[in-house]
Amino acid sequence: MTQSGEEAASEITCREVAEWTSAYLDACAGDGRNARIVLHLAVCAGCEAYVKHIAFVRRLVGLLPKAPEALADPDGLRGAFVARHRKQ
Amino acid sequence: MNGVAGAHTGSSGQSLSRVAPTMSATEFLLTEDDHMLITRLRRGEEAAFDSLVAKHHGALIRMAMGFVADREVAEEVTQDTWMTVIQSLDLFEGRSSLRSWIFGILIHKAKDRGMRERRHTVFSALESIDDEGEEAVDPARFHQSGERAGHWAFPPRPWDDQTPEKLLASKQAVAAMRRAIDALPPTLRTVLVLRDMEGVESADVCAMLQITETNLYVRLHRARERVRQAVETYLKDRA
Ligand SMILES: [Zn+2]
Repeated sequence: MTQSGEEAASEITCREVAEWTSAYLDACAGDGRNARIVLHLAVCAGCEAYVKHIAFVRRLVGLLPKAPEALADPDGLRGAFVARHRKQ
Repeated sequence: MNGVAGAHTGSSGQSLSRVAPTMSATEFLLTEDDHMLITRLRRGEEAAFDSLVAKHHGALIRMAMGFVADREVAEEVTQDTWMTVIQSLDLFEGRSSLRSWIFGILIHKAKDRGMRERRHTVFSALESIDDEGEEAVDPARFHQSGERAGHWAFPPRPWDDQTPEKLLASKQAVAAMRRAIDALPPTLRTVLVLRDMEGVESADVCAMLQITETNLYVRLHRARERVRQAVETYLKDRA
């Protein structure tokens, strides 16, 4: 089967690629769709940029500094933990 | 969600009978770290409890904030979650990771609390299936008809000179990203916090929230797309 890149890319629209990007990045878009996305990305700069954006966002959210959170009542919890053990 | 259900049955008689001197049938599925930790917790080692709290407390507060009205309530729900964890250590059967089990307890309590507060808008939004019709990406960015229908009319521009690290070096960028995440509706915020902020595996997120994988990716992608728009806007405004 010979198929030009353009033809292969038209088997899935940019709109579809954009909707499936997060699933695609986790290899959860399904085998057939995954293969069509790979072919599409090879010839579509817009979708390539979009997939990279979403991968960027995924990493960005993971890297956001997290505010340290302290327990409201650490002694109460510790007490309960110790008491639980004593009961047994 | 078995462990969570177990944690809420709350019969102490049952809990004692579960104290097994050896590994239970399912516990071999646990990672070595989790197994070691649960053994130390059941032995009553305070240091193990402290490290468990240090590891998950922040994430639990961030999760709770997605379900309840204010910070104080989120702290209460989280404190209450830790109490249940302490009381239910012997009910943990190792069918999920320790983290999934603890998060599951929190989600259950936070939803409950949200409902009791009669915050119907939040709760029904969490429970309802997302309106499947709505696409994550603005349809106006694509050609509507003709040969190019469904293909980009206004394609995104590459952020080639950017990295997440570079962007986050700016305090304004961090604040803009936080605002974008805080503005997400609870359904979207919860999956983004679990999957991308806390790095929970997809299957575990589905189990915790009792949603399908398809639903997870629909929500996750909408959430990421909104943050993507925030990045796009931030970069455009700065240029
Ligand atoms: Zn495309």
